[in-house]
Amino acid sequence: MAVERLLKDEATEEKGDRARMASFVGAMAIADVVKTTLGPKGMDKILQSTGRGRSVTVTNDGATILKSLHIDNPAAKVLVDISKVQDDEVGDGTTSVVVLAGELLREAEKLVNAKIHPMTIIAGYRMAAECARNVLLQKAMDNKQDPEKFTSDLMNIAMTTLSSKILSQDKEHFAKLAVDAVLRLKGSTNLDAIQIIKKAGGSLKDSFLDEGFILDKKIGIGQPKCIENAKILVANTAMDTDKVKIYGARVRVDSMARVAEIEGAEKEKMREKVQKIIAHGINCFVNRQLIYNFPEELFADAGILAIEHADFDGIERLALVTGGEIASTFDNPESVKLGHCKLIEEIMIGEDKLIHFSGVEMGQACTIVLRGASSHVLDEAERSLHDALCVLSQTVNDSRVLLGGGWPEMLMAKEVDELARKTPGKKAHAIEAFSRALQAIPTIIADNAGLDSAELISQLRAEHHKERTNAGIDVISGGVGDMEKLGISESFKVKQAVLLSATEAAEMILRVDEIITCAPRKREDRM
Amino acid sequence: MAAAVTTSAPTARASSFNTESYVDNKRRDDVRQANIIAARAVADAVRTSLGPKGMDKMIASASGEVIITNDGATILNKMEVLQPAAKMLVDLSRSQDAAAGDGTTTVVVLAGSLLRHSLSLLSAGIHPTVVSDALHRLSLRAVDILHRMAVPLDLSDRDSLVKSAATSLNSKVVSQYSSLLAPMAVDAVLSVVDPAHPDLVDLRDVKIVKKLGGTVDDTELVKGLVFDKKVSHAAGGPTRVENAKIAVIQFQISPPKTDIEQSIVVSDYTQMDRILREERNYILGMVKKIKATGCNVLLIQKSILRDAVTDLSLHYLAKAKILVVKDVERDEIEFITKTLNCLPIANIEHFREDKLGFADLVEEVSVGDGKIVKITGIKDMGRTTTVLVRGSNQLVIDEAERSLHDALCVVRCLVNKRFLIAGGGAPEIEMSRQLGAWAKELQGMESYCVKEFAEALEVIPYTLAENAGLNPIAIVTELRNRHAQGEINAGINVRKGQITDILEENVVQPLLVSTSAITLATECVRMILKIDDIIMVR
Repeated sequence: MAVERLLKDEATEEKGDRARMASFVGAMAIADVVKTTLGPKGMDKILQSTGRGRSVTVTNDGATILKSLHIDNPAAKVLVDISKVQDDEVGDGTTSVVVLAGELLREAEKLVNAKIHPMTIIAGYRMAAECARNVLLQKAMDNKQDPEKFTSDLMNIAMTTLSSKILSQDKEHFAKLAVDAVLRLKGSTNLDAIQIIKKAGGSLKDSFLDEGFILDKKIGIGQPKCIENAKILVANTAMDTDKVKIYGARVRVDSMARVAEIEGAEKEKMREKVQKIIAHGINCFVNRQLIYNFPEELFADAGILAIEHADFDGIERLALVTGGEIASTFDNPESVKLGHCKLIEEIMIGEDKLIHFSGVEMGQACTIVLRGASSHVLDEAERSLHDALCVLSQTVNDSRVLLGGGWPEMLMAKEVDELARKTPGKKAHAIEAFSRALQAIPTIIADNAGLDSAELISQLRAEHHKERTNAGIDVISGGVGDMEKLGISESFKVKQAVLLSATEAAEMILRVDEIITCAPRKREDRM
Repeated sequence: MAAAVTTSAPTARASSFNTESYVDNKRRDDVRQANIIAARAVADAVRTSLGPKGMDKMIASASGEVIITNDGATILNKMEVLQPAAKMLVDLSRSQDAAAGDGTTTVVVLAGSLLRHSLSLLSAGIHPTVVSDALHRLSLRAVDILHRMAVPLDLSDRDSLVKSAATSLNSKVVSQYSSLLAPMAVDAVLSVVDPAHPDLVDLRDVKIVKKLGGTVDDTELVKGLVFDKKVSHAAGGPTRVENAKIAVIQFQISPPKTDIEQSIVVSDYTQMDRILREERNYILGMVKKIKATGCNVLLIQKSILRDAVTDLSLHYLAKAKILVVKDVERDEIEFITKTLNCLPIANIEHFREDKLGFADLVEEVSVGDGKIVKITGIKDMGRTTTVLVRGSNQLVIDEAERSLHDALCVVRCLVNKRFLIAGGGAPEIEMSRQLGAWAKELQGMESYCVKEFAEALEVIPYTLAENAGLNPIAIVTELRNRHAQGEINAGINVRKGQITDILEENVVQPLLVSTSAITLATECVRMILKIDDIIMVR
């Protein structure tokens, strides 16, 4: 080539078809990795870490799988990102969004091969997405006015979310846990107030919701194990020694008695600090740092329950739920906000002793204690429950509900098909392709369940041709069923987010016609 | 491009939306098969240690330490498996250890057998989720069957408790001592049960002290405290104190040391004498204060910052006729104070009589080549107990401790859930029989799966018989026959080498061990079945 090299050594450039091909293949490959986890009979993956410890995670959660993948393909990274955003925004549908985007691209690839310009495809996709969204808006049901029905909606959504996870066997139990926890929040989406504690042992069924707060710590020796009407001071302060923090500070003395005096003075200082803390009129003291033997004894003498070494997360949450503030100086007792709760006691879960705060200031707070056979089960259960909690808290705010089991997809596909028929021009192909991509979701759900997808989808399509049908895939019985009767619901917000972000991601990848890989930055040889 | 991307790319392009069900799933099956085979290999490794005539394993760890054990959880823990699915089996045994404490081998062998049978189901073309669902229903049903077989138990029925502890001990190295250890385990657990919470047992309240020398026969249950430490002899202090007043102190009896860096400036030689004298006076002052409260036994917490005691302070304490035990670990303090019903003292200023504990006798006893300190006759003793384990070598002691722990867990299970069930493979055969019958009522794939898994349960009696050197096929078929005739408690009597009513032979185990074994094993197998890919991640 006559043209001078534009790019640095090692930087690569891929153009036109090649670039598009690379993006399509990368994105579809990512979608295929998580595809089998979709739906109630989806499979799990083992994530084996190549890092230290070679830790093993077993999961069904799309976001978790994608987050941990090694990815080099730029288009694939876009998909990982949308799944991450979906996880942050609505918490569920992380797999669906990637699969839908993958399917849209698969269809787009065929159109591109048929010499349709990417921009035409994008225009078609946009029209189709708009149309699909309108269908969803029309068909969404809102039961906010009827609390009883709304609760049952929430239960259904929770069960639907959980049915694709490890918790599926006990989904009713966990759906109830999640709904109770979310309803306590009274509309706030601050999931921090819901604490999840994992304790190995027992079975998943033994998990329970506890109103109040549980701290995985021990009460100091010789201190009361049970306190009523507790006034809690949450602090982050050194309770070992108050050292002069000047480098090289040292004292010179000329006799042993003086050393003893200084030691005494240090002790005295500690005692004063403890006295000051006690002067707050508290009967429970929680510190993030260690409490040494000496102050511990002082607290014990004063009949104060002192908890040492509560972790950051623990004290922040404790301060939040008891309505206190984290203090680190104790000179002005009036300015420190104390936390309150009705009862502090030591409880035993499995083999461990924990501290239980009940009747806390912030009535919304609660703790879910998960029990399970192994750490893998517990971790996965936590992820699943977190998904359910996210979806529920979103639904409490936006109470519109759709049916599940591929029902919304089929509905959208039908309307989009109608649109394709009315639209003149090449765009119609793209719109049709969009409809096919939508239908891929129920197809995959059926495939994962080991059902005959071709047969089921055609049945489903026929059902949907009638007006006002509730037909969806009933994975359990392996046929087409009435989703409303089966109680399979999904949150409108999740579905809408899936539809819109998948379309956007597909559009973004379609627009690409050149990939420039920058030369990796050279690492200096640091000897 | 990442490995995962490149490998699945060809299938990605080949498959269009309608032909998906014909996608080549070979890789997925391979992953599943590899997982199952790896997990089975783990199960096979511990198989031979099942049952009273099971064999032991010798494990040489990387650090050169040698362990001989029969305990499934211990073997698996030390095995350092790498394959992810095999790791799950190790975890499984650990959870059984946490949930029930016993049956750690059983649960792994059971999971291995279930996996073997599910492999044949999968190769018959049954979808893994169908297999997994069938397994779940089966486990519910199996637990139900176990509940129906169980015999309720009263905690006052000490005999039954001892029997079940003995069953657990019979499969261990220390089985010949089961008549000694079993009652000991029962007494230990029953003595820590708090009447206010009758179904809660914290095994941390049972302390096991190991001391080399003697034989396992010399193991004893001590109503009080035992320290694996010598009384400090430095200055000829007392080694036996009656009517002891015991203080647990967390401060040091040594020259003062400040947190700020300090140095004593000595400018001439007369000052040197003075400093030495001052040191002596300082310590003497402390000792006098201690003596003034009537304290005559001192337990001193270990300190990393400075010497807990010096020769000088030991000397003074000896003069004051105070028995000193030094280097008590900080995490033991809670147990000690709970037992002695006293409070730890963190500062000499707080040394008051009301913080002391009382005991009839504190003495140093020499056992074998070492010495221990025993505190007995404690006034208002907390709900704790100590077991002193003896043995002729370290390996035996360690194994005895593990076995005793298992026995303690068994008793704890019975306190939590007061039901007994027959041992000797009887519950497994009965489950297998009833589930087999149930399978005939079911329809479709599920029936097929349940039938297969019902057979899988027979692995326990089969292995028991095999390990005992009996003919497994003859035994299992005879067992089946006896159970079909309604003898639901017929099991393998390993000692007699034949099938008898196992309840009459006093081979019993807690219901919780059996139920948790079956639920945990099925849960783990289901998890392995549902995995279709292993992805390498950061």
